[in-house]
Amino acid sequence: MHIPDGILPAQVCAAGYAITGVATWYSLRQINRKPDPAAEVPKASLLTAAFFVASSIYIPVPPASVHLILNGLLGVVLGYFAFPAILIGLFFQALVIGHGGLTTLGVNATMMGVPALLAYHIFQARHTVGQRLKEPTRTGVFAFLGGALGLGIAALIFLALIIFNIPAELNAGAEQTAVLTLSIGHIPLAIVEGIFTAMLVLFLRRAKPELLEG
Amino acid sequence: MGAASHDTYIHRESVIHRWSPQLKLVSLGLLMFAFATVQQLALVPWMLGLAALLYGLSRLPVSFLRQRLSYPGLFILAVVVLLPLTVGETVLVQWGWLTLREEGLRATGLIVGRFLSILTLGFILLGTTPFLTLLGAMRSLGLPTLLADMTLLSYRYLFEIAAMLATMQQAMRLRGFGHNRQRWLRVNRQTMQQLAMLAGNLLIRSYEQSERVYKAMRLRGYGQRRQAAPVPRAASPLSAQNWVLTGAVLVAAVGLVLAEMRLA
Repeated sequence: MHIPDGILPAQVCAAGYAITGVATWYSLRQINRKPDPAAEVPKASLLTAAFFVASSIYIPVPPASVHLILNGLLGVVLGYFAFPAILIGLFFQALVIGHGGLTTLGVNATMMGVPALLAYHIFQARHTVGQRLKEPTRTGVFAFLGGALGLGIAALIFLALIIFNIPAELNAGAEQTAVLTLSIGHIPLAIVEGIFTAMLVLFLRRAKPELLEG
Repeated sequence: MGAASHDTYIHRESVIHRWSPQLKLVSLGLLMFAFATVQQLALVPWMLGLAALLYGLSRLPVSFLRQRLSYPGLFILAVVVLLPLTVGETVLVQWGWLTLREEGLRATGLIVGRFLSILTLGFILLGTTPFLTLLGAMRSLGLPTLLADMTLLSYRYLFEIAAMLATMQQAMRLRGFGHNRQRWLRVNRQTMQQLAMLAGNLLIRSYEQSERVYKAMRLRGYGQRRQAAPVPRAASPLSAQNWVLTGAVLVAAVGLVLAEMRLA
């Protein structure tokens, strides 16, 4: 779910870089407010590498398989480090395997990173909302929402960008049908991503709860 | 990840290799954006020609480009197959239910032309500049220290963690994972749970390693001062060749944008 070079007009690529600049600045400002930001850097860096590697795990759904994006999970675990982590991960993907692109790096980072920050806030809301739910159900539900919405919103941004930017000759009716069909097609993927995020977060809650302190 | 190598840099003696990393990054970056502005099919051959000229100057082997293009090429293949058959109203050729349309064909030409040219420039940048030099150039151009440190550390441990995952996956397979028959279009809950635990274990191992790394970094003075590693500086003043190359690439970028505005 990466937009490669050559697809989007330069104005959209530049807007992507501008939003990425603002989101990175905001994330770094929040990180620098922590008591010892330097102490968090190795943790965030190695987890960035681990997330990048873990995104190669496929869920078998015969006869095919589902590729995980994990941007919601990144937000849940890394908090404000999620945006820089996604930016770096996408840079590596463009660099190492030519996945995505350098002109579209800003657009791709916005598409995955902003929903990741949203997923972080959704997961943090478990401390204030849904107190009626008992643990670990509450953590599981909020992790599911973070994972599913993280991917769901990223998929919507991706589809909107692709549909509205490639073929100028496509008529409005066809555009709407394509967006609707592809959006519906992504709902099962968002659910799978949400369930996977919930399972992983519940596992971390038992095995290494400090990883969920964000 | 399996095919990933540590560095995409290929050592050669060329003007592009000798080009100052900062100037190279800025110039090629601007040329990439100029390529992205192209909407006129008439400019595509110019764009491809420029990319090919720079690739020739870099003296990188053609096999490097061919190998790197194979993965993203799959996406472009889908565009080449779908767009000419589905987009547009001017029918060029029709074979039964298959219709080749002019607008779709033009859109395909533009997308493929931009894609190949921009990607070639990206590979020139990465193939002629070692990763650490590239990161140094980014830092000297204003990349925040925290972002540079994170990039460096992630890159340092990326392949180690990938090897760790490969070992864990092999261990799972040896214990019988993936041998069960699954029903079509069904997600097996147990399989998903096992994969979630695999990813979770990878995160925990990386986290524990990061604690050891941080202690080692602290012992070497990390975090004592605001500034981390010093920004590398050019050892000697930039040669005339550097400025000529930068000027030529910038003129080409501006020329393309102006031509695009004129033809639009």
